[in-house]
Amino acid sequence: MKSVLDWKRIVGLDNKSEEYKYARDESTGYTAAKRIPEKWVATTCGYCSVGCGIEIGVKDGRAVAARPLESHPVNRGKLCPKGLSEHHIIDTENRLKYPLLRKNGKLVRVAWDEALSTMAQKFRAVQAAHGANALGVLSTGQLVTEEFYALGKLVQLGLGTVNYDGNTTLCMSSAVAGYKVSFGSDGPPGAYEDLERADVILLIGANLADNHPILCQYLDANPNKTVIVADPRVSKTAMMADIHLPLKPRSDLALLNGIAHLLIRFGLIDRDYIAAHTTGFEELEKFLEAYNPERVAELTGISQETLFRVAALYGRAKAGFIGWTMGVNHSTLGTATVNAICNLALLTGNLGRAGASPFSITGQCNAMGTRETGFTSGMPGYRKFDDPADRAALASLWNIDESRLPVKRGLAYPDIVEAAVAKKIRALWIIATNPLVSFPNQDVLRQGFSNLDFLVVQDGYHPTPTTELADLVLPASIWGEKEGTYTNSERRVSKVNQAVTPIGEARSDFDIFLALAEKLGCREELFPGWTCPEDAFNEWRRVSSGRLCDYSGISYEMLSEHGPVQWPLGVGEQPQANTRLYADGMFDTPTGRAKLICAEWAPFPEQPGREYPLVLNTGRTVEHWHTRTKTREVPILERLSPRAWLEMNPRDAKTLGLRSHDAVDIVSRRGRVRGVELRLTEITAPGQVFMPFHFFETNVNEVTQSAFDPISREPNYKQCAVRVERAQENPR
Amino acid sequence: MTTLPLFESTLLSSVPLGRTQTGLVQIELEPRPLIPTRSLRPGEQYRFHFDMKKCIGCKCCVVACNEQNGNPAELNWRRVGEIEGGYYPNTQRYHLSMGCNHCLEPSCLIGCPVEAYTKNPINGVVLHSADTCIGCQYCTWNCSYGVPQYNPERGVVGKCDMCHNRLSDGMSPACVSACPEGAIEIEIVNVAEWRSDFLTANAPGLPSADDSISTTRITLPDNLPPDTGRVDTQRIDPEHPHWPLVFMLVLTQLSVGAFGVIWILDALRAGGSLTLAALGSLCLAAISLAASTLHLGRPVYAWRALKGLRRSWLSREVLTLSLFAGSAGAFAATLLFDLPARSLVGAFTLLAGLAGLTCSARIYMVKARPAWFATYTMAEFFSTAVLLGPLFICAWNITTAPWLPFAAAIGGSAQLLTQLCKYLWLSRSDIFELRGSSLLLSGRFQNLFVARLIILLGAGIVMPLVAASGYQLTLAFLAALAGEWLGRYLFFVSVVPKNLGAAFISSGRAH
Repeated sequence: MKSVLDWKRIVGLDNKSEEYKYARDESTGYTAAKRIPEKWVATTCGYCSVGCGIEIGVKDGRAVAARPLESHPVNRGKLCPKGLSEHHIIDTENRLKYPLLRKNGKLVRVAWDEALSTMAQKFRAVQAAHGANALGVLSTGQLVTEEFYALGKLVQLGLGTVNYDGNTTLCMSSAVAGYKVSFGSDGPPGAYEDLERADVILLIGANLADNHPILCQYLDANPNKTVIVADPRVSKTAMMADIHLPLKPRSDLALLNGIAHLLIRFGLIDRDYIAAHTTGFEELEKFLEAYNPERVAELTGISQETLFRVAALYGRAKAGFIGWTMGVNHSTLGTATVNAICNLALLTGNLGRAGASPFSITGQCNAMGTRETGFTSGMPGYRKFDDPADRAALASLWNIDESRLPVKRGLAYPDIVEAAVAKKIRALWIIATNPLVSFPNQDVLRQGFSNLDFLVVQDGYHPTPTTELADLVLPASIWGEKEGTYTNSERRVSKVNQAVTPIGEARSDFDIFLALAEKLGCREELFPGWTCPEDAFNEWRRVSSGRLCDYSGISYEMLSEHGPVQWPLGVGEQPQANTRLYADGMFDTPTGRAKLICAEWAPFPEQPGREYPLVLNTGRTVEHWHTRTKTREVPILERLSPRAWLEMNPRDAKTLGLRSHDAVDIVSRRGRVRGVELRLTEITAPGQVFMPFHFFETNVNEVTQSAFDPISREPNYKQCAVRVERAQENPR
Repeated sequence: MTTLPLFESTLLSSVPLGRTQTGLVQIELEPRPLIPTRSLRPGEQYRFHFDMKKCIGCKCCVVACNEQNGNPAELNWRRVGEIEGGYYPNTQRYHLSMGCNHCLEPSCLIGCPVEAYTKNPINGVVLHSADTCIGCQYCTWNCSYGVPQYNPERGVVGKCDMCHNRLSDGMSPACVSACPEGAIEIEIVNVAEWRSDFLTANAPGLPSADDSISTTRITLPDNLPPDTGRVDTQRIDPEHPHWPLVFMLVLTQLSVGAFGVIWILDALRAGGSLTLAALGSLCLAAISLAASTLHLGRPVYAWRALKGLRRSWLSREVLTLSLFAGSAGAFAATLLFDLPARSLVGAFTLLAGLAGLTCSARIYMVKARPAWFATYTMAEFFSTAVLLGPLFICAWNITTAPWLPFAAAIGGSAQLLTQLCKYLWLSRSDIFELRGSSLLLSGRFQNLFVARLIILLGAGIVMPLVAASGYQLTLAFLAALAGEWLGRYLFFVSVVPKNLGAAFISSGRAH
């Protein structure tokens, strides 16, 4: 109607020049006037774990612009396309503004008090009827550290359930588990600067150019490097490599063992380092005999000559860097593969020096925060459930009886889902994650959720496929609306600041946790005198003091004045530009030595066969973030990447009679993804297909597999057997 | 594991230490400034330099450009295309980021009927004025790179201006400062030198820089596989039909044809009362001219289209067709009131009309739209006039001149021949845009295209020749008119413009 009435526009007298006018501003230069803010608020990007500094431009109480925070050491005045448009995610139509409670089958608006009372009462009722551990909690890597710290205490001590895990288990738990097994503790040893200082860089299953584009700057700035990329797909990053290793799917562990074999055979190892700082060398040497180049070439599809070359390059590197992401982690052998990576670093002494580190490039903006402060696979401060000293110390810090600390880890994410299927978990609280898109094998998940007596989803947005199933939806304020800290992949703690007031009645997750604690009657005990995130941060500083992840020397004041700071930083210590863990060769194991692990390769669980002849690989695209809850609200990102596609090699398509842009179905033993646009490309090897996982409309996790790493419990997203056929008529 | 087998030690010693020489970006240790540090000298202009080796396809430049200019997501003054080549695992995919190329012979500027475009005499930036623009969108047909884009919300076109206002303040354009890889920069080019050798303006996935002498310098990777090319060629989307123009073109052609016939009949004294037919033709011409302004984003400023007579075929079309309509009015008046000098006025009307049709056709014969850039366009427009003009007069049932249906059939035959030859030409071409047009006609628009040919054969050739009554000729006219409208619709939708190779996934749907 508006356009009909807008006669001036229709005849052309008005060309909206007011709306499109430009202006000059000191802070922005000449630019579209509507984007010139009244003030800039410095904060940290809320998407991935690179942890870029960003400024939000605020005008009339709304976020109207985003730009890189020039002074931030991580991103050097740049942002990725998601960061450059991040201000668009805050005030969107699908932001959840009020608590919603399901009444007579429908979600209806209720007051906060009713929402939280109902939540407390339902949780307590389920726990009374089915035991304390019948309540499960699935959290995220998206909250601020202060919230993770508070949530851990609330869940384990307040709600009293051990069945608490995060979506980080779908993401980097294999890195966590691998570090723990090899080094005795979690904690990525290196720094981004290593990409700049290393002379040999091996990237395994890591597509920096799409997923951490800002880190490419560090590679660019390295004047003397050889970049080796192991990836079955010719990713953008593989194309940047000096040597691309187009290995067979999930043969990375064989490759790493094969390199280790060659390093030992050629004596390209640091015997002094091995003798001083590791255990298990003899066993490993014997174990690796089986990984001779002939066999490894067969397993990986990489020629012996290339294997020799890569081994020689890494073995002779002055500073060898190994970076990995989901290609390694998303595997039933994720932990073992991380161990094999750590082996290479330990064998060559490529650890604790500039440029030399086995480095897990993490996923979410604050996955690190939950790893350090969280209370899921370990206790806060990388403390172990089964370590008496850790238990005693934590109990004393919190002034509680040690018996209240769980004796072992509760159920991990996939096991919580399984327990829901088995009706052992009866109520679930999901915070800032969207399993109805992200969890593998959606059928199982849906069945599990349908068994629940009560499902609470706390999110910034509604509807999402997950909030639609909820009995109670709590509106959380999001990035830009709250305060705290994020810790990035390189252990750098960065301040997160509030730029605008939360939308509607949305409250920060921190407030929600404290308010629920109030309802549960444990607020004063767990959060004594807390009113703001800084209170949580200050308690966390005490709790982390003396630990590997020591925050005790870091304060909000320091973060504001000095900018981001890496942990560990003890009280009174001066922050350094770049630090590495284990520089002294001392590890957090009983012997103080790192362990060389014999990690046996095995084929991935679901091999292709006659009925399902193709191996499906899943991954990301630069324009979108995870389940697209936020990025699909950003028009320019949707414009650049509006829907999913399936990459297939033309040779496979020929036998199937398919052409580019055909709509195809992807079918596995578990389900069918309908109507995906086919892209024929030589990026993907014959016999393999690739699809991005961001799109709920065509959710690849309908076909992925319920197969999990035995230690980290991370799903094997990267390989499963499928067939591809011309799209069926949609039966709906 | 004591001694190495001979071949292993050879392999090992053959491994070079340090960097190998394949594809990696060489980064200067001292980063260069990405905008010029000195002022321009006479004979120089600014231009973009794009380093394909550095680009990682992150599209930061696109997002930054849209933010800088406050544009809706649908408009992208900077775009990133993809090209790909090689065979697994030696595959290479590169990206091509492009704003405006600020050409030496900007086809947008040359075609613009209202002089909304200027080439800044000092810095060479091709500027567009949203206030002068009337939204005719002719520039969007003229640019081989698809740079100017129409903004329906504003009713005007817009395009990259190299953020020249930032440059003059010593600041980088938005795309330059957003690029994490430093792949885009502004540099100074000597115009005369560039004109003599602009080979580095070309890249796989880009139209030839010959069309307009693009000034953008592109650094290509050394190891591009020979088959490197666009990734978006499997998807050919139809172009906008431009309904007001479909309507207008056929009616003006009809009207010119009809006045030609009226003039001849009047000269031969062969008709009955020609007045009504003349008034009818005049009405159609007037309606069609009025309707054509609906095509404009800002119809109220249609008169401005006369400003570009020196360069723009669109301006010339507006002028000649206005003259045609005016003199057709005068001619009708001479018929109505039986005034003297009728034959002269009629001849002038016909000449203005033919000039109008010529200008009309020339509008479409632009390099950026290869399927239009051919004599077929001229032939198609004139054939319509020869087909519909006589049939229209026949339909009035005012004359028994036996040659009229034959004339129509000649027009119909010419049109049929034009269509068939054009289709053969398109379908046998190696040029992507031409073959693409034929694929649209034989694919998505197959039924319409076949219908158009059948109508042409039936109503444009057979019926005029066999019609036994005026009633049948009227039917033939109506059918032929519908057929020509359909033909002009196909003319618009089936053209495949030259463009920057796009990303594989577009905002359209899978089919």
